[in-house]
Amino acid sequence: MPRVSLKIPARPENVAVVRQALSGLADSMRLENGVLTNMKVAVTEACANVVVHAYEDDGDMELEILPRASELTVVVRDEGRGFRPRVSTGEDASWRLGMPLIASLTDGFEVAHGPEGHGTEVRMTFAVH
Amino acid sequence: MTLLKVSGEHDLYTAPDLRDRLKEGLSAGAVVVDLSGATFVDSSILGALLSARQRAAEDGNGFAVSLETGASRTVRQVFEITGLIPAMPVLPSVEEAMKAMNNEPATRHEAG
Repeated sequence: MPRVSLKIPARPENVAVVRQALSGLADSMRLENGVLTNMKVAVTEACANVVVHAYEDDGDMELEILPRASELTVVVRDEGRGFRPRVSTGEDASWRLGMPLIASLTDGFEVAHGPEGHGTEVRMTFAVH
Repeated sequence: MTLLKVSGEHDLYTAPDLRDRLKEGLSAGAVVVDLSGATFVDSSILGALLSARQRAAEDGNGFAVSLETGASRTVRQVFEITGLIPAMPVLPSVEEAMKAMNNEPATRHEAG
C-alpha cells in the first residue's frame, strides 16, 4: 500500500477535504468502519488545531498516511509558530475537548515541535485488524 | 421555544453558523438542539453547545440536546468521550428534551 500525502491550505473548509481523503483511503484499504470513524474524529481535531493555532496568516497543513501491516499512522503537520492554546477563549474550550478525543480514539499519539517553535507534528497511530 | 435541527457533517467550518443560530434562538428563549440527523460533529460543535448551555443557564432559559437512539454512533461517541454525556442534558427525543428542560431549576426560577 503506497503512502498517501496531501498538502492543502489550513482553512476551516478544508478539514472536510481531509475527511474525504480518509474515506477514500479506507475504501481502498477495506478498513473497518469503526477505524475510519476514529480516524475521522481524531484527524479532524488535529487539523482543527492547525487551522486555529498554527498560523498568524495563511499557511498549509500537511497530511501523511503511512500504512503498515497491522497499523496505520496519520501525521498532521504544519509549519506554524507551534501549538499555543489561548486561555479563556471559546477556541480553547474546543481544544480541551479535542485533546481527549485524539487520546482516546488513537492507539498511540505524539506531538512534536520543530526547532525554535517552528512547525508542529501530530502523529496518530490506529490499529488495523 | 426554538428547535434547531442539525443534520449532516459539522465541524469548525460550520460552527460559526451554529453559534449564530444558537445565539438567535437563546435571545428568544429556550432552545432544543436535535442532533439526530447529524453524521459527524467535532469539538468546535461541542464548544458551541457548551457556550449555549452556559448562556441559557445565565439567562434562566432552558437548553437541551436531543439524540435519538438510532442516531450516528460517531456523534454519540464524541459526546461520551468528552464527558458531555452526562454533563449536558442529552435526551433520546425532542419531546423528552423539552420535558427535561421544563424540569430544570433555571426555568422554575424564571417562572417564580
